Amino acid sequence: MSLFGMLLSELRARRGVIGVLFFLGLAGLVVANVFIRPHEVEFVYDAYPGFWAVFGLVGGLAMVIVMKKIVQPMISRGDDYYERNN
Amino acid sequence: MSAITSSFIHPTMGFYALALILPFLRGKAWKWLLLIPPIIAVWSVMTVQPGLYGEMNYLGQKLLLGRVDKMSLIFAQVFAVMSLIGMVYALHVEDKLQHIMACVYVGGAFGCTFAGDFLTLFVFWELMSIGSTFLVWLARNPIATKAGFRYFLYHTIGGLFLLIGLLMRYKAVGSFAFDHVEPTAMMAYDWMILLGFCVNAAVVPLHAWLPDAYPEGTVTGSVFMCAFTTKTAVYVLLRGFHGVEALAIAGTIMCVYGVLYACIENNARRILSYHIVSQVGYMVAGIGIGTAMTMNGAVAHAYAHILYKGLLFMGAGCLLYAAGTTKLDKLGGLVHRIPWVMVMYMVAALSISGMPLFNGFISKTMTITGAAEAHRTWLAIGMEIAAVGTFVSVGIKLPYFAFWAKPANDKMVLRPIPANMYVGMAMGAALCIAQGLYPDMLYRYLPFEMEEMYHPWTTWHVLQSLLLLGFSGLAFYILRDTITPHAKTNLDFDFFYRLFGRGVLALVSKPLAWIDDRWTEAYRVAGLGGLITLARGTVWFDTKGIDTVVDGSAYTVQNVGVLGARIQTGRLQDYLGLAATLALCVFAAVWYFA
Repeated sequence: MSLFGMLLSELRARRGVIGVLFFLGLAGLVVANVFIRPHEVEFVYDAYPGFWAVFGLVGGLAMVIVMKKIVQPMISRGDDYYERNN
Repeated sequence: MSAITSSFIHPTMGFYALALILPFLRGKAWKWLLLIPPIIAVWSVMTVQPGLYGEMNYLGQKLLLGRVDKMSLIFAQVFAVMSLIGMVYALHVEDKLQHIMACVYVGGAFGCTFAGDFLTLFVFWELMSIGSTFLVWLARNPIATKAGFRYFLYHTIGGLFLLIGLLMRYKAVGSFAFDHVEPTAMMAYDWMILLGFCVNAAVVPLHAWLPDAYPEGTVTGSVFMCAFTTKTAVYVLLRGFHGVEALAIAGTIMCVYGVLYACIENNARRILSYHIVSQVGYMVAGIGIGTAMTMNGAVAHAYAHILYKGLLFMGAGCLLYAAGTTKLDKLGGLVHRIPWVMVMYMVAALSISGMPLFNGFISKTMTITGAAEAHRTWLAIGMEIAAVGTFVSVGIKLPYFAFWAKPANDKMVLRPIPANMYVGMAMGAALCIAQGLYPDMLYRYLPFEMEEMYHPWTTWHVLQSLLLLGFSGLAFYILRDTITPHAKTNLDFDFFYRLFGRGVLALVSKPLAWIDDRWTEAYRVAGLGGLITLARGTVWFDTKGIDTVVDGSAYTVQNVGVLGARIQTGRLQDYLGLAATLALCVFAAVWYFA
């Protein structure tokens, strides 16, 4: 294993610390959003701090849940579906 | 045919010259020749002066091979750069046919970009289609063979739309000139041409050829394909049809549609293919909205996209080359074994997601801001939703399940990745970062004049991107078990294409076959008897008529010959006697008639 590979393995072992840093980073961004506002309001609601945080979170959650839980069961077939049906 | 001006080295020439000579070269050194056409192309597009080159008269038509202006140049520039990166990445490939077809394909893209008329465009358009079909077939496995046939069939139909449109247009306006069409004055033939372009731009619902074929191409072939077909289509849409409202809507639908499918896909190259649909959606929408800012955004995004999408396919190609699969359910735990592939892939993944420091940040935000400034709020929101989905699936899901998820995998046999593949990826990664840091590298080539230059690097833009991407990441973190990919086939519009194909097959094999059977029977009973009588008549005529005349002449010639031979006895006294008889006859005739 290369030195760089070992470094990445070490990082992987410390995923708890990385997770904490990630959440702190997110909180920091929202706090920054209270002070830093858009130059021009594009969609009315984006004037409020945290709008893009909610947009990203809700958008991401909704997309994954709708696609994986509702749409995929309807449109998915076996991995070799077309091969078998040819 | 006469060339009027030719002081522009058309990049296509280098690629086609190489494609022609490559089959005759022996040894190993020919590989270095692969780099020459891209280098000539880069030099040519960086030094040429805008103007009209290579005007020709052919069969009474005026053809223009080299329309060099700001719009064609910026596309040609990124094509040239990408062709160089792609060739470096493909240097280790021994199969010459792959290189030849890559040359045919890439040369075709340059031909389309510089074409000033529809005929030239059509010829190069079809050459691209042929070259890219081979790049799928040359993966040389049964799945790729079938996918290649479907791809070719589909592109042939798309090409026919273009051909019908351009011929109808010629009939109506008397010219093959390829210029912008006023959106308010579009005729049926213009829509036909637009439809042909939309097939190649993978506009939903004409897009399903893309995620069907690109995952099956060769490791290096798909790197070329992901860069040229859709972006050539983006260029011709921009050139011919900017401001068409239907494109603004269709583009935004593409943006969202692509990410939704990418969310549930398992094959890494298919995820990336759906993201081509999505990213090209931003460009198509920008073209459709048609303001200077959105169109510049579309061009900038095409430029950035070619670089990061090429890099994404190079990364996924490394997985395929090393591990033999790109199916995420079979991968995982490989980060410590191919760390640099992960790093290069992540540069591209962050670029496509629009993360600050990378080139997607300076191009994607331009189109979205342009849409919002043009008061197309819903379109801008659609593009923001697509940005969330992009980060979730390409930015996190794909690398997470390919490299990180599952415990460290030391058992999987990995083929060593050739150095040239790393070099190709490093070139792409360097450009993605450089453009992200110095947007002017790209912006200075943008073709449309803007009242006010767009500045991506403002505190707000950076914060907004980080918020959007950070919290999308949180969504992934919460649902990481739900999003785990499964080995499934997800039905897309190609289900309907196949249904249509089967319908045609059923039509041919059942009703048409029935008609054919009945016709054969009727022919056997009625037609065949008549034909035999006719044949007999012909035989009679042949023996009695033709043969009598021909054989008669032959017999006459033969008899005269026999007589001649008999006369020539070889005895002098016979000749003297014959001569005397002849002389006497001549004398008698003269005496009688005179």
